[in-house]
Amino acid sequence: MLRSLKRLVSHPLKLDHGCALHTAAKHCFSPMVSQDVQTPAETPRAVFYTSEKDPAKHTEQHEGQHYHIPLEEVKAVFPHGLPRRFQQQIKTFNEACLMVRKPALELFSYLRGTNFAHPAVRYVIYGEKGTGKTMTLCHVVHYCSRQGWLVLHIPDAHLWVKNCKELLPSSYNRERLDQPLQASFWLRNFKASNEHFLQEIKTQRRYVWGKRESTEEGRPLGEVVEQGLARVRVASDAVGVVLKELKQQSDLGSFRLLVAVDGVNALWGRTTLKKEDKSPVSPEELTLVYNLRKLMVNNWKGGAIVTTLSQTGSLFKPSSAYLPQELLGKEGFDALDPFVPIPVPNYSPKEFESCYRYYLDRKWLQHEKAHTEAGKEELRFLSGCNPRQLERLVAPL
Amino acid sequence: MAPVSRALRAAAGSWAVLSWCCGTAMGGPRFGAAAYSSVPAVSSRESQTKEVSTRRRGRIPQLVKSHVPPRTEKMAVDQDWSSVYPTAAAFKPASVPLPIRMGYPVKRGVPPPKEGNLELIKIPNFLHLTPPAIKKHCAALKDFCTEWPSALDSDEKCEKHFPIEIETVDYISSGTSIRNPKARVVTLRKTEMWESEKSEEDMEEYIWENSRSQNNALDTLLQIKASENDSNVTKEDLLASEVVKNYRSSVIALKNEGETEKNMSQYKESVKKLLNIQALP
Repeated sequence: MLRSLKRLVSHPLKLDHGCALHTAAKHCFSPMVSQDVQTPAETPRAVFYTSEKDPAKHTEQHEGQHYHIPLEEVKAVFPHGLPRRFQQQIKTFNEACLMVRKPALELFSYLRGTNFAHPAVRYVIYGEKGTGKTMTLCHVVHYCSRQGWLVLHIPDAHLWVKNCKELLPSSYNRERLDQPLQASFWLRNFKASNEHFLQEIKTQRRYVWGKRESTEEGRPLGEVVEQGLARVRVASDAVGVVLKELKQQSDLGSFRLLVAVDGVNALWGRTTLKKEDKSPVSPEELTLVYNLRKLMVNNWKGGAIVTTLSQTGSLFKPSSAYLPQELLGKEGFDALDPFVPIPVPNYSPKEFESCYRYYLDRKWLQHEKAHTEAGKEELRFLSGCNPRQLERLVAPL
Repeated sequence: MAPVSRALRAAAGSWAVLSWCCGTAMGGPRFGAAAYSSVPAVSSRESQTKEVSTRRRGRIPQLVKSHVPPRTEKMAVDQDWSSVYPTAAAFKPASVPLPIRMGYPVKRGVPPPKEGNLELIKIPNFLHLTPPAIKKHCAALKDFCTEWPSALDSDEKCEKHFPIEIETVDYISSGTSIRNPKARVVTLRKTEMWESEKSEEDMEEYIWENSRSQNNALDTLLQIKASENDSNVTKEDLLASEVVKNYRSSVIALKNEGETEKNMSQYKESVKKLLNIQALP
């Protein structure tokens, strides 16, 4: 049941029927309230919104402000990278707005000053649950793709170590196990985001996939990806080939490589997968994880490695763990050492204000009390300035 | 007459003891009662046993002796203490001329004094082992001892030739276990052959030398130097450099003390300096 939207608002709100989040909003939908809000919302838009669409030009004066990413770019740059609730928010608001925050700006300054002749530097974004680590990573990915880097984005490494229905023994190495479904899913998204690079980069040796299939030397890397997508059985090996080629070729300097991994602590943790004889699988026995680990070592140059630690989705880790050593464990820490840790805190008062104004502007806060100062303070107290908590709290309002 | 008087005295005595025990809290008015209650006790002989149990009030003044001053008041300051306490003995407040207090102070109070203090009597004391007493013991034992070997003149030599030391403890203590917890601690100064197989997981604290962290750092630095065509740098130079020392201390702090804000920021700064990361705004 859709109310008529015509008399209200310059920004059309598209309510998604399928989304359970928004059914509550419909009940509180009252035309009078939004008319009151219309006038004050228009003037201070500059407080929370900046029209600067290029992340490269974001500076400290844009801190706390949201910037708009056109939807086509979202599909091209982040086919699989954004958190699920943010994707739902994009569908609702019909626009993608990301907040510019200090950790991202700090990373930009480091990336701008990277010396590409030196080995790749590893950055680890860490913080408590729901403070915006994945969003920071997405901001960095957007920046690098705008700058023309080749972005190797693994949206959630935890997906590779759990819930795998099919585990095939690897044809390349008897001890390892393949995951065809995860590998082909990732290859599809990788192809969507880096089409033009795949045509330019050529393979440096011959790869034999089976009795009758092989990829010759000098063919574009896109063919390897096609092979992986067409023959799902060899998808994991295709991924391995892609990672190896990219690592070798970024040394030559024809392109800059950004390796962005979300939930990197999955690579050194435990898995919930079991082999046929019910014995547990350790991460290095999985082809995908094994190849990705090789990419995490800093013996290549011409790029950077930006990773996030994530407790959500991690296995066998307590929910209060967020520090690097707790989540990575001894093995992971030693593998990533020396890295630059980048903490992501909760919202500062300015950022909270900005987020609140944004929700007001998008007409997301429909409750009458939510527009008052007291309501704002209550939201601040209840969410503790934690971005995820705030988002969950305002959803039914 | 005699058995009656004996019984009487016994009854009176026991009555007196009972009343003395239970009557300490009772004050003045009871003495009047005591005066009264003593008369029926003497007069009625048949019901003495019953009266003993019912009458528990007041004190009998005739059991209190005249107060004798304690021995401490007659002690000279330079007396021979080892004759006061020649052997291990319980704490006698009248023999120890020290104003010791021990115990829990009830509200707005002080710890109770030493007179009649069970806490002081319960604990073991070493009043019989003062330094002059020990000197006397040594002098007495000297005749039975041989000379200290002159070659063992330093602690290191003792440890080298006699690596195992056994400590014996023989005083009584009470606890939940009959074993002395210190008996579990063994310190061996001689290194056994199998100790060289100690691996990184067995280490009690983190040692940076020869650790993965050191290897990683050195590899990275060597790669950096190679890219700058500076191949004259050796590992020792790198290890002695300021940035590596800084990095080393921050990693050790992180591993040994755990992760705190301060440790993490220190680690971050040291890594930035190590890898020469510039921040271009």
